[in-house]
Amino acid sequence: MSALLFLLLAPLFTGSLKWFKARLQNRVGPDPLYDYKNLLKLWRKTWIRPQGSSPLFLLAPVVSLLGVALAAAFLPLKSASAGTLGISFAGDFLVLVYLLNLGRFFQVLAALDAGSAFGGQGSYREGLLSVLTEPGTVLALGAAGLASGSLSLADFSPLSQGNALVYILALVALSLALLAEGARMPVDDPTTHLELTMIHEAQLLDHSGPLLALYELSAGMKLLVYTGLIALLLPFGGLSFPAALLLAWLGLAYLETYGVRLRYLRLPDLMSYNTLMGILAVLGVVLRFRI
Amino acid sequence: MNPLIDLALTLLGLQSLLALLRPPATGFLPLSLGGSGLLLLAAGLQAWIANAQMAPLDATAGFYVALLGALYLGVGPYLREYLSHHEPRRAGLETFLLPLFAAAMVGVLLSPPGYTFLFLWEGMALLGYLLIAREGPAALAGSRAFFLASRLSGAGLLLALILLARKEPLVGGLEHLVWAGLVLGFGTKAALFPLHAWLPKAHPVAMSPLSALLSGGMVKLGLYGLYRAQGWAGPPPGWVGWLLVGLGLAGAVYALARGLAEEDYKGVLAYSSVENLNLLLAALGGYFLLASPFFWLAFFFHQAAHALFKGLLFLGSGALPAREISRLGGLHRLLPRTASWSFLAALAAAGLPPMAGFLFEWYLYQGFLAASQGTGALPLLVLGVGVVALVGALAAVSYVRLFGLTFLGQPRSPQAGEARELGRFGQLGMGVLAGLLLCLSLFPQALLPAAAKEHLRLYPVLPLSLALVALGGGLVYLLSRKPRRVYDTWDCGFNALTPQMQLGALGYSEQLLRLFPFVELKAHLFRQGLLDPPRVRLEVGDWLLALETRLALGYAALAHRVQRLQSGSLHLYLLLQFLALLFALGVVWR
Repeated sequence: MSALLFLLLAPLFTGSLKWFKARLQNRVGPDPLYDYKNLLKLWRKTWIRPQGSSPLFLLAPVVSLLGVALAAAFLPLKSASAGTLGISFAGDFLVLVYLLNLGRFFQVLAALDAGSAFGGQGSYREGLLSVLTEPGTVLALGAAGLASGSLSLADFSPLSQGNALVYILALVALSLALLAEGARMPVDDPTTHLELTMIHEAQLLDHSGPLLALYELSAGMKLLVYTGLIALLLPFGGLSFPAALLLAWLGLAYLETYGVRLRYLRLPDLMSYNTLMGILAVLGVVLRFRI
Repeated sequence: MNPLIDLALTLLGLQSLLALLRPPATGFLPLSLGGSGLLLLAAGLQAWIANAQMAPLDATAGFYVALLGALYLGVGPYLREYLSHHEPRRAGLETFLLPLFAAAMVGVLLSPPGYTFLFLWEGMALLGYLLIAREGPAALAGSRAFFLASRLSGAGLLLALILLARKEPLVGGLEHLVWAGLVLGFGTKAALFPLHAWLPKAHPVAMSPLSALLSGGMVKLGLYGLYRAQGWAGPPPGWVGWLLVGLGLAGAVYALARGLAEEDYKGVLAYSSVENLNLLLAALGGYFLLASPFFWLAFFFHQAAHALFKGLLFLGSGALPAREISRLGGLHRLLPRTASWSFLAALAAAGLPPMAGFLFEWYLYQGFLAASQGTGALPLLVLGVGVVALVGALAAVSYVRLFGLTFLGQPRSPQAGEARELGRFGQLGMGVLAGLLLCLSLFPQALLPAAAKEHLRLYPVLPLSLALVALGGGLVYLLSRKPRRVYDTWDCGFNALTPQMQLGALGYSEQLLRLFPFVELKAHLFRQGLLDPPRVRLEVGDWLLALETRLALGYAALAHRVQRLQSGSLHLYLLLQFLALLFALGVVWR
């Protein structure tokens, strides 16, 4: 259910983000619904297979999208009317994180498939980013699970006075992970035109038409999945997810208007905060700190 | 004993005999080694699932017998094809030694702790050494490292088994000595960090099917020993668990980082074995400390999964035209089947969801998270979650690099254009292992003994895989009906893309290695002639390796000193004998 919702919502989120960012930068900007039209256009086009590429080239966008979509299916969205949606069991947040990894594994491999230099660069940069992000993300989610006494996402208790310290640390870690995994500034620049500086886009250089459409859709959904994870920790009940969406929408637009992209070699400095927050969150649970 | 096992051992013995009488006799290997594998698999699984208690084939031994059987079942047919390319004399000797090696491994599992065990353990090590040394001068360093590690392992075991043979209760610190011996003996075999140094030297130089047997099978016997030793020496003292968890987690990260600096395809696989073994040791250490069923499940599931996927990857490496990744590339065109098998195995090795490797990490995470309920310093083990996540991400990058640079892209050297796909028997061997790996991934509950089923918690693996296959198949069908054309790779409009512009093996990992200061890549610029363009050469600096070199030099100097005793002087020898006599009398007299 949540997967379908995300599938429909993702282009609106990314499209309106582009529009809002343009407005902040005193440009007219594209139509907020532009991404729907773009996906439809791409889906109808011919696609190009680079010479000598393997079946993985076609498989990668498919698995990338499916990984994110299935991960979204594990996300219990608390809504006011329908109760809780999604599949849940103890340890489901690990399956969610690893389904995202499955998509990335295929994407990073397919970037090597065409045999171009840029694809390879994008591939190892994404790999480095995953190594930097994953410990912090898993530690933060684990800490939140331990603090709520259940390893199932559906039973994560919202932010409250008792767990404020752990949850705030976990929220910071997850927000940094959102920036890194969503390929947004200051980690990556989604609007760059220069292949040399790309991380996410460099891997998609040779994918065109419907394949590119699947990749774009999965990138948008990935942003929403991380927003959904953040929403689970927020204390607004049924309104948590809309609130998290709004926060992410505003935050990303302002960050990308007033911020700059970090130099690639400085990324470990930024992402070390992610890991540090994760470690501190776990220590906070284990040593039972309270504020 | 179980008649199936008798029959399997007879088959192995007959094969050796036949290789002696009518060499090379490789044609019978699928029947003898593969057939014995099938029998062992049946007998072992039966004992494991029925939770048999009767020695020698109880549930634990049954698990490992089945694991070895599965490997033999795949390696048997493969060997027939592989050895047919060797010259008859050499193939004959290998056909003679391999079944003996296989039988010795099974024998270790079925013998009680004592003389027989030690004899078979050393016999297994010696046969392994002989088989590696058969590879010629290139394998000299590797086979010697293997031999030395076996001596160290044997020494530790001898100490522990002698103390255990006294049949007296272990009191007064003796149990610490026994466990130290066991950890040294079995830990060396299971590549416990930092005693792992022999493995990345020995496994890559062995022939591919032997590497599969070593990495998939033999090293697991070290884990078997440590698990089994609970029954021999009583519950381990607390430091054993902490040592295994600490060194295991550290070793896993070290091995992955070091593997990223490796250019040899089989070298990367060997380091990946070190990583998996160290994680398994950490799981065992966690089980010793917390007795949590998650660690137990992780420990057993992953041994089976690792045996299968590492066996498959090593068998696949036999088809490669060269071992350096920087000279390979684009091999999926020439070796489509090997590429598919290897991809399946890489997916499992990277620990991704529908495959068996993920189940291990899933249990490991939950085991470490459950540590928060422990007392004392135990809750700090929760931080292990972060290390496991780091290891998972690194393993994925490592296998992307391995598979992507070898099988995808464009060939980086003329050699890479000359690969030849393995024939029927080779494909059969790999297919068997791949099939078993898929079964293990999709039906993990089938592998469990009935008694352990109540502890089992699974994620919905079958619905997840079905959803992936069904939705993925649908999307691929839709996409394949779309119009498409084949065109050149995007080259920024310069029309000058060459295979050399792809990333090299070390270039791929250079930036990542900056995160790990203990492995250093040094870049040297050099020119061959005055007018040649400058080239970059990358060198790996590794402080553990430097330390090892120092140790080896010190040891050689010490040995040189000690050699003075062996001067040929009769007086000195008599004095030594007299002193030895005094010592023996002193010990007995008390």
